[in-house]
Amino acid sequence: MKLVLTHEYTSCTTQLCKIREKVRITCAQMGFKEADINLITLVIDEACSNIIRYAYCGDKSGRIILEIFQAETEAIFHLQDFAKCITASCLEVKEKKLTEPGGLGLKMMHQVMDSVTLLPPTSAIGNILELKKRLPEGL
Amino acid sequence: MKYEQASHLQYSVLKLTGEVDLHNSPQVRKQLLAILNAGHSVLVDFAALSYIDSSGIATLVEAFNLAKNKALSLTIIEATGAPLQVLELTNLNKVFPMLASLDDVKE
Repeated sequence: MKLVLTHEYTSCTTQLCKIREKVRITCAQMGFKEADINLITLVIDEACSNIIRYAYCGDKSGRIILEIFQAETEAIFHLQDFAKCITASCLEVKEKKLTEPGGLGLKMMHQVMDSVTLLPPTSAIGNILELKKRLPEGL
Repeated sequence: MKYEQASHLQYSVLKLTGEVDLHNSPQVRKQLLAILNAGHSVLVDFAALSYIDSSGIATLVEAFNLAKNKALSLTIIEATGAPLQVLELTNLNKVFPMLASLDDVKE
């Protein structure tokens, strides 16, 4: 597994466009087509938005580390925060009506990615969210 | 993200340009709710919109529900590319009225 990109951001909403740009460029370099790049960029943005809103509760000084790896058959995205540890149940999608608010970002993460997992914490604080997406055929 | 407000027939048009995300969706929400609370049906023009996230979509859902409660309408115009993909992914393309262009809007 090769580390393709690592970048640290603050937990400020102004950083989201910068994160999206890095993800778009890296996904294009890994051979994803435009439609997949759009969706992967969307879900990484959604995951970062959730970290800003729920992990750091709007505190703009938190740290978010984005790492992108290329494995033999998949792209692996790690998003690390240093907020209070959450449990895997926070990643479960609750069934709602289409016009009911809440949970949309998480639902999209599960729809777009092949796996969405919380890695075991490496320290007393923080979380690492791992998202995997199969690389395009023929690479 | 930029927005412009205009009129078309009996509708207010909110033209969105650029990217709508968690940073700027509150501005879009404020504009949309103001238009609807003033009693106008709204056309949300996506022609120059390159990105919308779930906070933007949630804003549209809230405005759509408000429009329905007020016997008004909210219609999305010219959704293509990444914004259309998000609407399709969430199945909201089956909920929101959508038109290919402003020329398709009837009085």
